[in-house]
Amino acid sequence: MEDTAHQVPETGRSRRPRGGGAWSRYASALRTPKGMAAAILLVVLIGGALLAPVIFPGGYDQQARGALQGPSGAHPLGTDEFGRDILVRTVYGLRTDLSLILTAVPVSLVIGTLLGLAGYVSKPLGAVFQRVLDIILGFPGLILGIMIVLVIGTGWLALFLAIAVAGLPGFGRMARGGLLSEEQREYVLAARVLGVKRSTIMVRHILPNVVDPLLVQASVFMVIAIFIEAGLSIVGLGINPPNPSLGAMLNVGARYVQTLPSYVIGPGVMLLLLALAFTLLSDALNQAATRR
Amino acid sequence: MTLSSNDTGATAVGTTAAGTTDGPATNDAATDVLLDVRGLTTEFHTAEGVVRAVNDVSFSVRPGQILGIVGESGSGKSVTARSILRMVRPPGRTTAGEVRYRGTDLLTLGDKEMRDLRGREIAMVFQDPQSALNPVMTVGDQIAEALIVHGADKKKARERARELLGQVGIPDVDRRLDDYPHQFSGGMRQRVVIAVALASKPSLLLADEPTTALDVTIQAQILRLLAELRDQLGIAVVMITHDMGVVAEMCDEVVVMYGGRVMERGPVDVIFGNPQLPYTADLLAAMPRLDDVAQGRSLPAIPGSPPDPANLPPGCPFQPRCRMAEDVCSQQVPELLPRVESGHLAACHVTQRGTPIPPLVTAAAADRVHGGEARPLLQITNLRVDVSNESRGLFRRPEPVYAVDDVSLTVRSGETLGLVGESGCGKSTLARTIVGINQPASGTIQVGDHVVGDKSGGDAVRRTVQYVFQDPYASLNPRRTIRQSLEEALAVRGVPPRERDAEARALLERVGLAERHLDRYPHAFSGGQRQRVGIARALAADPKLLVLDEPVSALDVSIQAQIINLLESLRDELDLGYLFIAHDLSVVRHLSDRVVVMYLGSFVEVGDAEAVYSNPQHPYTAALLASSPIPDTAEKNRERIVLGGDLPSPKNPPSGCRFRTRCPIGPLHHPERTICIEQAPALEQTETGQLAACHFAGELSRAGALP
Amino acid sequence: MTRFLIRRIPSVALVLVATSVIAFLLPRLVPGDPAAVVAGPDASAETIAAIRTELGLDRPLVSQYFDWIGGLFTGDLGQSLRFNRPVSELIGDRLVSTLELALLSGVLLIVFGIGLGILAGSTRSRWARVLVEGTNTGLLAAPPFLVGLLLILLFGVAFRVLPTSGEVAVLDDPGIGIQYLILPALALALPMSAGVARLVQTRMLAVRQEDFIDLAVSKGVPPRRIDVRHVLRNSLGPAVVAIGIRFGDLLAGAVVIEAIFARNGLGQLAVSGAQSADYTVVQVLIVGAVFIAVIGQLLTEVVLAALDPRVRLG
Repeated sequence: MEDTAHQVPETGRSRRPRGGGAWSRYASALRTPKGMAAAILLVVLIGGALLAPVIFPGGYDQQARGALQGPSGAHPLGTDEFGRDILVRTVYGLRTDLSLILTAVPVSLVIGTLLGLAGYVSKPLGAVFQRVLDIILGFPGLILGIMIVLVIGTGWLALFLAIAVAGLPGFGRMARGGLLSEEQREYVLAARVLGVKRSTIMVRHILPNVVDPLLVQASVFMVIAIFIEAGLSIVGLGINPPNPSLGAMLNVGARYVQTLPSYVIGPGVMLLLLALAFTLLSDALNQAATRR
Repeated sequence: MTLSSNDTGATAVGTTAAGTTDGPATNDAATDVLLDVRGLTTEFHTAEGVVRAVNDVSFSVRPGQILGIVGESGSGKSVTARSILRMVRPPGRTTAGEVRYRGTDLLTLGDKEMRDLRGREIAMVFQDPQSALNPVMTVGDQIAEALIVHGADKKKARERARELLGQVGIPDVDRRLDDYPHQFSGGMRQRVVIAVALASKPSLLLADEPTTALDVTIQAQILRLLAELRDQLGIAVVMITHDMGVVAEMCDEVVVMYGGRVMERGPVDVIFGNPQLPYTADLLAAMPRLDDVAQGRSLPAIPGSPPDPANLPPGCPFQPRCRMAEDVCSQQVPELLPRVESGHLAACHVTQRGTPIPPLVTAAAADRVHGGEARPLLQITNLRVDVSNESRGLFRRPEPVYAVDDVSLTVRSGETLGLVGESGCGKSTLARTIVGINQPASGTIQVGDHVVGDKSGGDAVRRTVQYVFQDPYASLNPRRTIRQSLEEALAVRGVPPRERDAEARALLERVGLAERHLDRYPHAFSGGQRQRVGIARALAADPKLLVLDEPVSALDVSIQAQIINLLESLRDELDLGYLFIAHDLSVVRHLSDRVVVMYLGSFVEVGDAEAVYSNPQHPYTAALLASSPIPDTAEKNRERIVLGGDLPSPKNPPSGCRFRTRCPIGPLHHPERTICIEQAPALEQTETGQLAACHFAGELSRAGALP
Repeated sequence: MTRFLIRRIPSVALVLVATSVIAFLLPRLVPGDPAAVVAGPDASAETIAAIRTELGLDRPLVSQYFDWIGGLFTGDLGQSLRFNRPVSELIGDRLVSTLELALLSGVLLIVFGIGLGILAGSTRSRWARVLVEGTNTGLLAAPPFLVGLLLILLFGVAFRVLPTSGEVAVLDDPGIGIQYLILPALALALPMSAGVARLVQTRMLAVRQEDFIDLAVSKGVPPRRIDVRHVLRNSLGPAVVAIGIRFGDLLAGAVVIEAIFARNGLGQLAVSGAQSADYTVVQVLIVGAVFIAVIGQLLTEVVLAALDPRVRLG
């Protein structure tokens, strides 16, 4: 249990990151069993998604002869209502999902962090942004998605915006919390007393200590982003057909769950693998960030 | 309940009903010795290997006795206390030895029997009263629980809780019984913890640094309470502490621990008068003293730092730091053997042969360079600092809270101004305002010719004034090497990149570290070394004045003298001015030329150190001096002034004299002195030369003065 | 306590006002003429004009807003653009269905979340702990809709013991109704309760390290009593906060769960409203959802204050 504090007799050190370059710490995160598993899974999933056009040159729209056929040698997961191969569509669906989260989450991370750190430049501005984030936080993720769909209609962009906006409060609050606690740290005060420039203090002393938890949060939010996509798509507010996404496939597959269970099992398992990979990654990063 | 010991001469421990203390005295050995610890060994199994935190420790406690266990960090003193009650947390395990309580070995008891004994026979008091009480239970319930688990019924338990709260000196018991811990001050919480410990009338109290987290006037209250409990109830106390002064004042016998072992033990008078362990002797010599007249002489310091329990040196654990060490010391662990005086044991190869311990040579400090006339470096006039802005409401401006209220002072080059006060008196706020971390509400801070707050003033201040923090670990960025930290400071000063390396080395050398330390991270250093780095960084800006905010209070006693000496020699060689802030009066005494005593945001006494310490004019100063424990058994029976009550909140300071709610000569004891309530006393010249803010200045000076 | 709640009023009001403004502005943010979008491609100019009047687009923005807000307070929620029925009627028809689902899953969330957490945080046996932790981690990784699909596969396809599609109101026929309700509620509650359980567990482990636990041990308190009186009370705070925050998620999750289990609730109404640009319906639902989420958080703080005297008396 990493939670149980080891009571080292009378010399207990506070929980603080040790020195060392950021990269070496992240590298060491990947060397733990969890980190290793996450890395392998991610390489396989992302590699598969990238290579999908090479592996399945026919594309996701190629129709076979029979619709809604059960699993067979030619179609390991069977075919859908138009006779398209479910496995092929699952891999292309993964591609869609990855294209969403790997763009929307970093965008959310950067904007959210900037909003959170705005208080360093101007205190009133920071307070205003904090209120804005509070308001966004009041909207559950799917409601946010419904609102965006209402304005711009369904499609990739709506999902992208729903994910990016839903992530802002988390990143923003974490960045602000980090900023407020770092500003009170004595080494930051020491730099101020020395007369180090404010921008230098930010880059040198505050940011490196704020970044760690933000990265952990980013990989946690990857999982939530996957679920936002799936949730919106399942209710029919996601990617427009005939493009596949994992959620959109579940949407249709749920109708055939009695006759063709593999229609939901395929994309469902893929979703779980993707979520598992990022969960493991966040655990590994978290361990590396708070290691004694 | 009857416990059968697995030894011959089985003894019944405890009694059937809670509340009766007469332990069955069936055999003579059991009445003579309450607790007998033999060969106790506790190990921690960690990833890095086995750490033996407590190694072959033996001692005994008689009924009604106060035994001190004294040691620095890592000495194993706290783990010893926990081992007795079998409360060592995993991965720690007691692997050998016996803990005989009234003849029964506690280490072999069943879990249930052990539980029955905890609290009823042996109780414990913890260091930090802030965290030792359950925040969601009323104090009454927490005291009553100690009785209920030993079979008392709820009504009686509550009755007894009320009685206990009164006994430990908590006023207004009926109302406070149902209050929660966060509604009490630190000192009051510690009283509650003691009440919990006393609930089932135990015969032995283990007190683990019970006053370390408290201020000196509160410490005096708690120590007096513990002494009274011993006198009235006959409770034996094992007092774990790092403070030789507390040992000298409180204890009958003392056990000196170092590196997990008992190195010396015996009656307090004997050990303080004729220590047979070089460590004990040097530690006593290295402590700055209230009656320090060694101005201009450095303190005798012990080199190095206490060993890491995970990495003990071979042979005698103190040998690498010992000035008397011989070859045999690094080869063989010395045995704890009896010495001339009865009851005195020590573990030292060298003194065992009768070799006396020569007094520590105190090097004369370097001559103080006074660059001509001492010019004022820092002048503060009528400064007020408002600290209320953290809790600014949405609609209304909060009432101002002046943590520093209308103070003025001057520091000259080559001079140390000592600033003394308890926590919450505003001394740190004052220091932080000087260097620009807090903003003044009114008044001026003038550094050289520049006024802080002006556009041109900022840089001038930084070039002139630097700050050294209390906690050297917190003030160094854990992700940056020492070189990076130093070069950052040098860059701000404008040292060209090519010269920074040489300059950084020179700085490290100046504070007693070596070049090889440059590329290490802060976690690789000991506390004392880190503080040296902190000082080096402050010096990198080439300041004229250092603001030192409790620079030694986070350090072990044996390290404090090193840092004090370093500060002293830097001041004298570089002609620096110091504003030295501390709560420890003896440390301030050693370094300071002049002293300021601060209470609740204001100065109550200002003057030459000599005059203030030998002839305090303000009752608060007198009480502070009288409350400070002195590491000398000859002082044991000196007259003490123990202040009642707590420091009031600066949000709501008392009218008139701010000290009147605790003053031993004020309206509390002299109701006719209404002037104290109506009129705030001004800081005025007294007969003995210093300034004091008291309507009855000088009245208490004789009682509080040192002989 | 009252003072404590009064202090929260400004921020609560701010969130609600901001939400209503956002919801109100939604149709006006649509690129092009929202009335034309609503009317569809073949609509005549008169239809579009009628819709514009219905939406109030022909009047000044501020007065439109206050009319709309006034309507919300007086129960006039407007007219659905798609069904040509009052929004209040549409919502009234489906409210019970969603309420049933939310209530049952809320209860399940609290029971499972705190129950599993205590189990994982206090069991001495390694075995039990590993089992609970494993279940927790598994559930944590699976979102409600996947758990829902899994439950459908298990009970609807493999074992066929419970209905997986449609609904019967519990009030009409408790026996049958609960059968229809149990799977969706489980699907919604289980993944969230895993998160709550994880919080309770880590907090219990952390509290165990506190000094006051040592004090309790040193006065001779038995382990079980320490768990209940000292560890547990100090561990529930974060769980309560988590449950409060998940109140909103519960509503959002209901949208998806209703789709999977073919329940005709408010979630379905919102989704079809979004698909067919039925602004008046969605606007009301958004304000309602946020309102309920805010109430949930306020309730949380009340419970928190009851648990912790430092909040209550602070």
